[in-house]
Amino acid sequence: MIEPTVALYGDAFNRAAAVLEELIEQAQVRYVLLVDRKGFVLAHREALWAPRPPALDSIATLVAGNAAATQALANLLGEPNFNELVKQGEKQGLYVEEVNDLTLLVMIFDTDTPIGRVKLFGKKAADELDEITRGAVVMPRELGIDKDFHESADAMLDDLFGN
Amino acid sequence: MSTINFANREINFKIVYYGPGLSGKTTNLRWVYQTVPEERKGEMVSLATEDERTLFFDFLPIDLGEVKGFKTRFHLYTVPGQVFYNASRKLILRGVDGIVFVADSASNRLRANAESMRNLRENLAEYGLSLEDIPMVLQVNKRDLPDALPVDMIQAVIDPEGKFPIFEAVATEGKGVFEPLKDVSRRVLSKLAEHT
Ligand SMILES: Nc1nc2c(ncn2[C@@H]2O[C@H](COP(=O)(O)OP(=O)(O)O)[C@@H](O)[C@H]2O)c(=O)[nH]1
Ligand SMILES: [Mg+2]
Repeated sequence: MIEPTVALYGDAFNRAAAVLEELIEQAQVRYVLLVDRKGFVLAHREALWAPRPPALDSIATLVAGNAAATQALANLLGEPNFNELVKQGEKQGLYVEEVNDLTLLVMIFDTDTPIGRVKLFGKKAADELDEITRGAVVMPRELGIDKDFHESADAMLDDLFGN
Repeated sequence: MSTINFANREINFKIVYYGPGLSGKTTNLRWVYQTVPEERKGEMVSLATEDERTLFFDFLPIDLGEVKGFKTRFHLYTVPGQVFYNASRKLILRGVDGIVFVADSASNRLRANAESMRNLRENLAEYGLSLEDIPMVLQVNKRDLPDALPVDMIQAVIDPEGKFPIFEAVATEGKGVFEPLKDVSRRVLSKLAEHT
């Protein structure tokens, strides 16, 4: 980790989770995820009525990869960016809102939910998440990783990957 | 890996398997996937062509567990090795924390190994990074081939100064798969620790 990263926990995490909670209610979507551009899930919420979501790590990685590819395409065409990304299937759709240059907001909705509603509340939530995630940016050296951490991680690596 | 407790602090690492096409990057990930216990891994995602060539990336999330109050996760990626997929390769390097460079021992792949290493340097440079910034280990794969080149001959073209740790492997048999992964993970962690 050389680049600054979003360390979302404690108070910042609770605030982000509250935004997602409200978003689920207002937009009436199935699942919402806040993911970073590297493809890690930072926070997520699901509607009580929704079935168990598919693998969140996979969603996050594919959305981040897709966003990176879209950005590269925009650059090829001389555009600074293509914002907004909607994928609509027969029963479900997926909407991605760029929160900022570090994070993305992913919403998965039923196609009988109006897309206008999804976008409206998505953009509103993204504004709030922008502020929260910016406040949670740390440099890797500020994460509090020390020799102690390193030693226990070493032991766990041995456990997992063999000696 | 299905339940994730986000209230705790987390540390996430991105490790990328780099190297020429067909050197065995995807095979490494498959072996890790097959071997790591269920509760420590997520689903493996492969964006591949019909003939199983990696098109965009393979992806495997690994959960190391909780270390000193930090939930610690690794995301493993492979890049597509073929020369013409460079645009996607560059994207995968975004935010990379550690690299396993998988070289091919086949005698007709010496140049491909060298070119892939040069390509890695060039792609990192576009992110303003150099190989000095990112922990990297080398895996010389396919040691079982009858025409396998001597390791030092391969090393001479990908790492002439001998700066990086080097591991021999037969990824199809799981030999030398975990050693480089563990080593690069260690280096990523100690790089972080040395800043505090
Ligand atoms: N003989 C031999 N073949 C291998 C080894 N590792 C991978 N392969 C084979 O090499 C081919 C390409 O492997 P793959 O993992 O798809 O390469 P990638 O393009 O780097 O992802 C496959 O047919 C593998 O079975 C090895 O250690 N020895
Ligand atoms: Mg592959």
